[in-house]
Amino acid sequence: MEQIIEINTPITDEVVDRLKVGDMVHISGYIFCGRDAALPKIVKMIQDGTLEKSVIDLNGSVIFHTAVSPAGVGPTSSNKLEIESSMKPLSEAGVKLHLGKGAIHPDTVATLSENNAVYAVIPPVTALLGARTYEQELVAFPELGMEAFYRLRVDRYPAIIGAAHGRSIYDD
Amino acid sequence: MTDRQIVEAVKNAVVYAGSTFKDDKKNAYRRAIANESNPKAKWVLETILQNAEAAEQNLSPLCDDSGIPHLLLEVGPNAAVTGNMIAKIKEGVAEGLRALPGRPMGIMGDDSGRIDQSGGLNPDSAGVEPSPILIRQTHEDVVRLHIMMFGGGPAIRAKTYRVFHRHSTQAVLDEIVEWANEAVALLGCSPCTLAVGVGRSHFEASSLMVQALADGTYDKQSKMETEITRRVNESNIGPLGLHGDTSVLATFMKVGPQRASGVRIVCLRPCCCFEPRIASVELT
Repeated sequence: MEQIIEINTPITDEVVDRLKVGDMVHISGYIFCGRDAALPKIVKMIQDGTLEKSVIDLNGSVIFHTAVSPAGVGPTSSNKLEIESSMKPLSEAGVKLHLGKGAIHPDTVATLSENNAVYAVIPPVTALLGARTYEQELVAFPELGMEAFYRLRVDRYPAIIGAAHGRSIYDD
Repeated sequence: MTDRQIVEAVKNAVVYAGSTFKDDKKNAYRRAIANESNPKAKWVLETILQNAEAAEQNLSPLCDDSGIPHLLLEVGPNAAVTGNMIAKIKEGVAEGLRALPGRPMGIMGDDSGRIDQSGGLNPDSAGVEPSPILIRQTHEDVVRLHIMMFGGGPAIRAKTYRVFHRHSTQAVLDEIVEWANEAVALLGCSPCTLAVGVGRSHFEASSLMVQALADGTYDKQSKMETEITRRVNESNIGPLGLHGDTSVLATFMKVGPQRASGVRIVCLRPCCCFEPRIASVELT
């Protein structure tokens, strides 16, 4: 079994510098959750300047592409249009790790690298993740129900770095 | 069965389908773990199996996308299905979704509001309506309900389309393998179980795909199923697309009656690493 790198949020540039495609990691601390419906709204808040006046601090953050519901959490496909297109502006706004599943496009891999951010793939293991989730807070857009923007406190979410520094695990 | 017994049996079946791997699937994972040469792929497979064990123990969802219930009803020669029985089946599905609990992802509103999601989400897990019921005959003297929970990822990557067979079964298999390689790579939640229906219309091919999932087993594969699985596994997509030997655990394929024509209609669903999430229950 190869070494697992422990990552705590907020994530610094130095931590991202050391991550490589294929690294196995554990993610702990506070992370945000959003997907198709919420992420474009966060991007709009970045663009119209309202995000910096809100309680949402994206610097060094993780965004997990998931719904949050009584059924638990688990990754949705990160290559869905509204999710993948949000990764560039979110990275520019300080997100350091995008957590989801599925291959992302070369343009997105390049954009992540330009902003010293990475993409990690998490197995869709809802029952196991439930045992590693300790707090859940609805942060924005309650009208979206399970697709609202949430914040979780998690302990050792398992993941594999899927894209970093211009490389993708799907390219090999 | 009394009405209440039908509701209770269906409710328990929904919870089982959403939380539990059948034994043949657990064994398929164990074989895949033993044969997987890529350490990261092996870790993914082990983690998925551990998740299944935890979900079964807690009777909690295998995946947060708990799925849309799809129902297949088998009716024996002397059995009768009444409107009341169908109502009780739907009641049982609703109670099962609340008990699991299923993800509350039913969209409310009028036709337009349900398309663009402006009608809002139903906060009740039971707001997820099952698909229309598919009915088929069986020689057994029973009414048997198969419940399958269909997730959204495989629905994005599934395909139902015509294939010009050119009087060659191999031509159709080649097309299925080509579709599957593309779908599995994009899905993200592999290893897949490929569900395939071959029929005369899009409706028939889709219904055969559903029946393939109800009838399929990981322990016994036909020659065509084995070939499809082997060829997709040669693609090195691997679990979660991270490369490895295990892109597909098995293929479940059902070929229906065909028309005199150069065309076959093929439905392919790349079922995710948890599917088929299935339970079967007799209601007589």
